[in-house]
Amino acid sequence: MAFDEFTQMTLTGINLGLMYALIAIGLTLIFGVMRIIQYAHGELFMLGAYVLYYWFAVLGWPYWLGVIASAVVIFCLGAVLQLLLFRPLQGRNILYPLAVSMGLIFIISSGGLLVFGSVVKGIPSDISGGTMVFGAFYTYERMTISAVSAALIVGLWIFLQKTTIGMAMRAVSEDPEVSSLQGINTSRIHWIAFGLGSALAAVAGCMMGTLLSIVPTMGFVATMKAFMIVIMGGLGSVPGALIGAMILGFIDSFGTTLISADVAYIMGFLAIFIILVFRPAGLFGQQWE
Amino acid sequence: MSQESTPIKLLWSAGLVLAFLLPVLCGYDKYILHTGISIAFNIALATSMWLIWTLGFISFAHAGFMGIGAYTTALLFTKLGLSLWIGMWLGAAAAALIALMISVPLMRTRAVYFFMASWAIGEVIKRVFAYYRDFFGGWNGIFNVLPPKLELPGLSIDFASRVAYYYLALVFCSLIVLAIYRINRSRTGTIYWSIHESELLAQHIGINVLKHKVVAFTVACMFAGLTGALYAHYHTYINPKTFDIWQSEFSLVHIIVGGLNTVGGPVMGATILTIVDELLRPTGYYRVIFFGVVVIMVVLFLPGGLETIPERIRRLAARVRNN
Repeated sequence: MAFDEFTQMTLTGINLGLMYALIAIGLTLIFGVMRIIQYAHGELFMLGAYVLYYWFAVLGWPYWLGVIASAVVIFCLGAVLQLLLFRPLQGRNILYPLAVSMGLIFIISSGGLLVFGSVVKGIPSDISGGTMVFGAFYTYERMTISAVSAALIVGLWIFLQKTTIGMAMRAVSEDPEVSSLQGINTSRIHWIAFGLGSALAAVAGCMMGTLLSIVPTMGFVATMKAFMIVIMGGLGSVPGALIGAMILGFIDSFGTTLISADVAYIMGFLAIFIILVFRPAGLFGQQWE
Repeated sequence: MSQESTPIKLLWSAGLVLAFLLPVLCGYDKYILHTGISIAFNIALATSMWLIWTLGFISFAHAGFMGIGAYTTALLFTKLGLSLWIGMWLGAAAAALIALMISVPLMRTRAVYFFMASWAIGEVIKRVFAYYRDFFGGWNGIFNVLPPKLELPGLSIDFASRVAYYYLALVFCSLIVLAIYRINRSRTGTIYWSIHESELLAQHIGINVLKHKVVAFTVACMFAGLTGALYAHYHTYINPKTFDIWQSEFSLVHIIVGGLNTVGGPVMGATILTIVDELLRPTGYYRVIFFGVVVIMVVLFLPGGLETIPERIRRLAARVRNN
């Protein structure tokens, strides 16, 4: 294996890992704060990509404003979904919120096929060109995407550590009862966390939509990757999601280039299985009841 | 869990009699018989998934194990010429064996992690079928898995006929439901519910939780494998897409809509939703949207599912009487 080939695969791995991390951190945030599995997370990712598509490719408005618009729209959608559908189920068996989000998948993905059609669409990129990094070609587009993803992850980390809402979120995820006794408005934290997690997925959707192409059924793959990552890293753990995303990004990049996409896929699941056998709650997870 | 009352026993008997008379009642209509067969498969899947739920967890690998049963019998038929009568049992055995092997490491995970890990296993099973093209036929699947013939002295039945296959599916579906009902009503079933309530407590009073979990998972997967074998010989064509996560999702929807507390729940949910699904088939995507709306509505406004309706009516009547 040549050195430049190796660098190419590493760069792709980091790139993929950062994008996967954006989706997975949203999922893990929602689980950490609310203890619900948002099975329709990938569907919000898909809707996020479509917001950018209509903003940028159809209406021709500025690209980066479109990414922000997409995040805002999906934030609101997530918050509304939490208030309408998930709040009444708070504290009940994990199966009920799971069933509701499964219902959401049916509604959003089939509704998407009705509204957007099943034709694959692309978001043209306004960044062109590239440069050589250690003998490997790296496009500016991918570089921007990696930088934006990394910035968002760091931003989220600072948000969770330094701001009042972020600290409240961590408190709620540690112990909802005690934190509500401390005067934290738990239900407000819940919808903010849900919206925030969804918005992260939407931004990831915008990035992936630019890099690849968009269809209403793309949500399932995103949910799947996010699931794989949070199982590896441990539910509710943000560093776990980041590390899980990197592992999966590298498996996908190296596996696909060296062997084949199918083998990379099965390898990803094998990695999960091995991790779960030794650490039943993932790398950084706690055992939730 | 409570002792069945006479009206419920009557309801079960009436349902069974109706199911046996269905071909005559519908005038041997092929489409209605096809729906009946689909209902039987869906009931078998949903009730066997419910058996795992009585221990308190949900397995999303269920459709995958149905696939193992289906692929085993299909391969035995196309490569060795063994009919459904043998393939069915070997398919169920293969599903049970793989479930047994996987369940020991799988049972180390709990609650949410179990759900996600089983989901991953279901996905791997599907991908393995798709990846090994030479053996499993890849995404194209396996064709010409023909239904069997029964040759007994003085009796010859060709199961290529829909009516014959309807009865075959009905018999096996009833046996699976009966077996699960018996398990649930036995001492073992009580132990399962105690694990459901509190795993820790069950462990402390001397119940071997791991053993019960492994056995229940294996038995449930065996039933799924059996259903898969019957499915393969009925449709005569299988591919990895059939045993997708979607299939598990639909079974879970059937359970949730029907009800989670008794075996009647999944039976009712699978029956009603399959009929509604067939009625909505011409509407295309709206059918799936409707499904989603139904699930959300049931979870939010009818927690406990359809099976709690009689109890709700009784309570409402009592309240009206008291006023």
